[in-house]
Amino acid sequence: MKSLFRPLFLAVLFTLSFTACKQNSDSSLLADSTMNPEDIALDGTTEVLEMPAPPFVPTPVGDRAAKKIIVNLEIIEKVGELANGVEYNFWTFNGTVPGAFIRARVGDEIELRLKNHEDSVFPHNIDLHSVNGPGGGAEASFVAPGKEAVFTFKALHAGLFVYHCAAAPVGMHIANGMYGLILIEPEGGLPAVDKEYYVMQGDFYTKGAFGEKGLQEFDIDKAIAEQPDYVLFNGNTGSLLGANELQAKVGETVRIFVGNGGPNLTSSFHVIGEIFDRVYVDGGMTINTNVQTTSIPAGGASIVEFKADVPGDYVLVDHAIFRAFHKGALGKIKVNGDENPKVFKKNEPLQTKS
Amino acid sequence: MKPFALTFLFILTSCYQNKSLSDAPKETENLEFIVSKKEMKKIEGGSYLGFIGKDSTRIVEVKSFYIDDSPITNAEFLDFLRENPQWTKSKVTQLYADESYLHNWVSDYEIPKEAKPNSPVTNVSWFAAKAYAESVGKRLPTVEEWEFSALADEVSKDASEKPEFTAYILNAYQNKKAYNAEIKQEKPNFYGLYNMYGMVWEWTEDFNSVMISGESRNDSSTNENLFCAGASATTTDLKNYAAFMRYAMRGSLKANYTVNNLGFRCAKDL
Amino acid sequence: MQKIYKTEKMKTNLIILLTILINFVSCNPKESNTEMDSASIFQLNSDWETQDSKQIKLSELKGKTMVMAMIYTSCKTACPRLTAEMNQIEQELGDYDPEKVRFVLVSIDPEVDTPEKMSAYLKTNKFDGKQWMFLRSNDAGTREFANVLSVKYKEISPIDFSHSNILSVFSENGVLAYQKEGLNPDVSDIVNEINKLL
Repeated sequence: MKSLFRPLFLAVLFTLSFTACKQNSDSSLLADSTMNPEDIALDGTTEVLEMPAPPFVPTPVGDRAAKKIIVNLEIIEKVGELANGVEYNFWTFNGTVPGAFIRARVGDEIELRLKNHEDSVFPHNIDLHSVNGPGGGAEASFVAPGKEAVFTFKALHAGLFVYHCAAAPVGMHIANGMYGLILIEPEGGLPAVDKEYYVMQGDFYTKGAFGEKGLQEFDIDKAIAEQPDYVLFNGNTGSLLGANELQAKVGETVRIFVGNGGPNLTSSFHVIGEIFDRVYVDGGMTINTNVQTTSIPAGGASIVEFKADVPGDYVLVDHAIFRAFHKGALGKIKVNGDENPKVFKKNEPLQTKS
Repeated sequence: MKPFALTFLFILTSCYQNKSLSDAPKETENLEFIVSKKEMKKIEGGSYLGFIGKDSTRIVEVKSFYIDDSPITNAEFLDFLRENPQWTKSKVTQLYADESYLHNWVSDYEIPKEAKPNSPVTNVSWFAAKAYAESVGKRLPTVEEWEFSALADEVSKDASEKPEFTAYILNAYQNKKAYNAEIKQEKPNFYGLYNMYGMVWEWTEDFNSVMISGESRNDSSTNENLFCAGASATTTDLKNYAAFMRYAMRGSLKANYTVNNLGFRCAKDL
Repeated sequence: MQKIYKTEKMKTNLIILLTILINFVSCNPKESNTEMDSASIFQLNSDWETQDSKQIKLSELKGKTMVMAMIYTSCKTACPRLTAEMNQIEQELGDYDPEKVRFVLVSIDPEVDTPEKMSAYLKTNKFDGKQWMFLRSNDAGTREFANVLSVKYKEISPIDFSHSNILSVFSENGVLAYQKEGLNPDVSDIVNEINKLL
């Protein structure tokens, strides 16, 4: 008996320690996937990001490795329309309101080149909410007309973030349309969907009332009182209407990156006739399901996803409803395809007593 | 005879030696002075509530001075260039001006096509503006002198309390390429000064005393890291967006910058 | 008589020739580089005074790599830290040739910072090697120099200045090579840049 005991004891000891070792290596695997984003290595390649104009977005990152991304943004001050015949002096990133959609992944090193067009009257800069650094980049990117600044930052957090101009007077720079969104996808990318769109709400303050034609001046008193004349998606009453309606087919999954540039109002974002299957709460990585209306604060964003089940026109609104019908916070997504009577059917009227 | 010849030769050659060692161009040493016909207006000294201050009440005292009634024009700057070719586009020193110095000028002595002789000169650096001012026996105005002169509207010395004045200025600032128009086409202000708003931003002697970092949300508290004893940009008038814009512009500049819509006018002590 | 005359003549001729030759040779300076770099600060014409009351022009500083900061002696807040960083840089340079590097402090308060004050400041901070220098100019010269360095400053009160915290490195030809903005005890980057120039 005694002679057996020793080898048995050793065998048990050996097995125990072996499994313990294995456990350790398992936990180190876990450690790898929750690695400090600062330490994510780049694959050595550089890409100049191609950014289409809103409501479109750059191609998804998929499962590519982290790399260096170059983002070129040019600040252009230009006259545009808030509504038909209503002109306004917009200050823009890359000529559009909102500015171009920037897309990268966690661990990417993003080199942002900000140029202020030589015909600009004012100095500008940029603050990206995805930047960990002073002013979100604002100090490093202050540019007089005709000048260019460059700064680099590493994307540490996944999420959908706002960027905007932060030059004095900040309120006016934002009120004139200097905002946009930057998406930092998690490792592996967001789950694939069929359609992706970019919508950003903003409030506008003009001397004239809603609809008053001609070149409208910025009204500082209304801005301070937080009483806008226009509340718009993508800087114009018609951005997502008529020929500009967003499109989808029955059965497709649709993802909308929704931002709110403010400067003042919070949006109660809702798509009439749809329920959001998934909402990335506050643009972060927590997902809520089956949401009717989501709150997007000024300077915030959200990602909403839904599956188009039934054909028809679906209206995007700020559900603070007077804004939708009297200030322009209205857009549409048109769903084409076969009827789906299982989900929705207009019934025949009930027979009345004959 | 011979010793004299020797000495003479010696002196000659040593003089030559000295000259070649100090070949470097010097800023004002070679400045040729010119006569300016620019009209100046006297600004009676006084005090006003400064826009930027350490506390929210900051009285600024300004002594009486003279200031040009309008920005320096292309024609006036051309006169300066003819006498001081070291400041022409092709000869200017990199230390004193960046790559876009007079970049719209057709050549060293030809003004931009889109502008007129009486349009304000732009794309000049602070160093160039200073050299011009010195050449006509003047100087650049200080920020405080400029802001003091700019308080006036058409009818009063100090229109800072009138919201319609600020609105008027904000609106004037939206005009693009106003620098291609001619000076003095509008009504002057109370002091008889033209084009204080909406034509060009203007260089000042101490523009670099504006400690705006570009991170304007931070400016209301001191940024002890970037600026020693940084006077915070707590302002006395949060609604004076026009002033915010001018100070922001000054904060974004470096002395050798040249900008399409940045010109200057001169000042003089009494 | 003739013989003596000949020797005299030859001697004089020789002297003349020699003199001309010497001057000619020294006329062509040893450094082929008399051409000032278009971006060199030695082009500035301002007059400067050192802590030893010596009057100089900036061009006289040619030939040594320079590390510069703009401060004032009565500063209580960041200037001490800025000069501490300069000290740190000197230490991290280690065994450098003091003939090749100059540490220059430039006053933004020339009215108060007299040569005595500047001298005392250097002494108190133990910046006593001859590679340390303190300069002041007049108001116009100071403002102009600050603008070349992109240093902002403003007099808040007669004893209080607000100014940007910038350390600048210049090549021996007076061209700005590198700037460190803001206070940060990590001076490794700027030390690298200086070593590149040496």
